[in-house]
Amino acid sequence: MTERLISDIGGLPAGEVPREEVPQLYWEKHMIAMFNVLWDKGVFNLDEFRRRVEETSPEDYKRSTFYGRRLDGMTDLLVEKGIIDRAELTARSDEILRAGTRDHVR
Amino acid sequence: MSADTAFAPGDRVTILDLGKPGHVRTPLYVRGKTGVIDHYCGQFENPEERAYGRIGRARIPLYRVRLTQRDLWPDYDGADGDTLVLEIYHHWLRPA
Repeated sequence: MTERLISDIGGLPAGEVPREEVPQLYWEKHMIAMFNVLWDKGVFNLDEFRRRVEETSPEDYKRSTFYGRRLDGMTDLLVEKGIIDRAELTARSDEILRAGTRDHVR
Repeated sequence: MSADTAFAPGDRVTILDLGKPGHVRTPLYVRGKTGVIDHYCGQFENPEERAYGRIGRARIPLYRVRLTQRDLWPDYDGADGDTLVLEIYHHWLRPA
């Protein structure tokens, strides 16, 4: 049985494709910069990243966004490689959310 | 026949459905379709291996394959000569 990857949507009904330009948010630029550094330093490769994103459940994949999938794929990969700790990441994210501030750079 | 020149521009090839799980770069909608080698891109490490952290392994030939839109989409309503070119690794191809 041939597996269809969640990203392999060529030829499937898509409905209307939105054409408006969406401004890039600050965190998105920040995250892409981080992604590019990690990629350039060989911490992970692009194929690993794509594989990790494709392992997302179809529900989560569809609910997410271009940048959301990239952030989750990147962090999942760093957890998978033992570079960051999932519990530590969750604790830090919760801390920032509780503080409700964007001024969270230590 | 050396591995890096197994196909030449103009050769007719059929894209295989290897049914391989995990990260692959051959979309479903081209599998089983027949096209023509447009361009030999060179040799690259297999992304199906790199996706699992196996880097520095053998390089394999990559080709650009040209398919007609009409062959891909039975209800295609564009011009007859419209084509699609996409990059396919050697092990996903057989001579047509």
